[in-house]
Amino acid sequence: MKNDLPERRQEAGLSQSDLADAVGVTRQTINAIERDRYDPSLELAFALADHFDCRIEDVFAPDAD
Amino acid sequence: MSVSQNTTGLTRRTYERIVYAIVGTGIVGLFAGMLVGQQLAGTVVYLLGCWVGGSIAVLAPKLSDAPLQDERDNALHNRASGLTMGLTMMFGLTVIPALYVLDESGHVELTGTVWGAIWAASALFLLYGVSLGIVKHRR
Repeated sequence: MKNDLPERRQEAGLSQSDLADAVGVTRQTINAIERDRYDPSLELAFALADHFDCRIEDVFAPDAD
Repeated sequence: MSVSQNTTGLTRRTYERIVYAIVGTGIVGLFAGMLVGQQLAGTVVYLLGCWVGGSIAVLAPKLSDAPLQDERDNALHNRASGLTMGLTMMFGLTVIPALYVLDESGHVELTGTVWGAIWAASALFLLYGVSLGIVKHRR
């Protein structure tokens, strides 16, 4: 899934570790999501969207194919 | 927007280093024991290393507030386990029946080691089936 997590995170002035701590995962997981190497669970996607005070579909979008 | 910094307690890197160090010490202890003729002591060090390291590896993520393991670790572990079982099953299903038939027909003679491997693979499949049943039942 494509996502604009890096932009949102940088806009909020957060490091990957900050965001990871905030949503209860490891920094490696945030890094993998940002690089489109891991699709988060629905629970984590909700947590991320909730953290940035937006909807899941605002952060994540399905791949074109 | 609040960020809960977790700067105290066990970090993921420390956790991994501790587990690797303890298990590594056990392995080194085993080989050191073999080299100096203290096999029993080496074995004790090895078993202690495996048990203590394994216990920390399993218990620390459950007891720590810091995210030492998360859903991605579980997903990676599941994929690796599935790949391992798939490869083992593919090898077992294609090779074991053929070996058995060839042995029965006298074309080859399976050694005790090969039979041991066949039994080990069979036990692994059985254990996988039981584990899968337990996981399905508990979900």
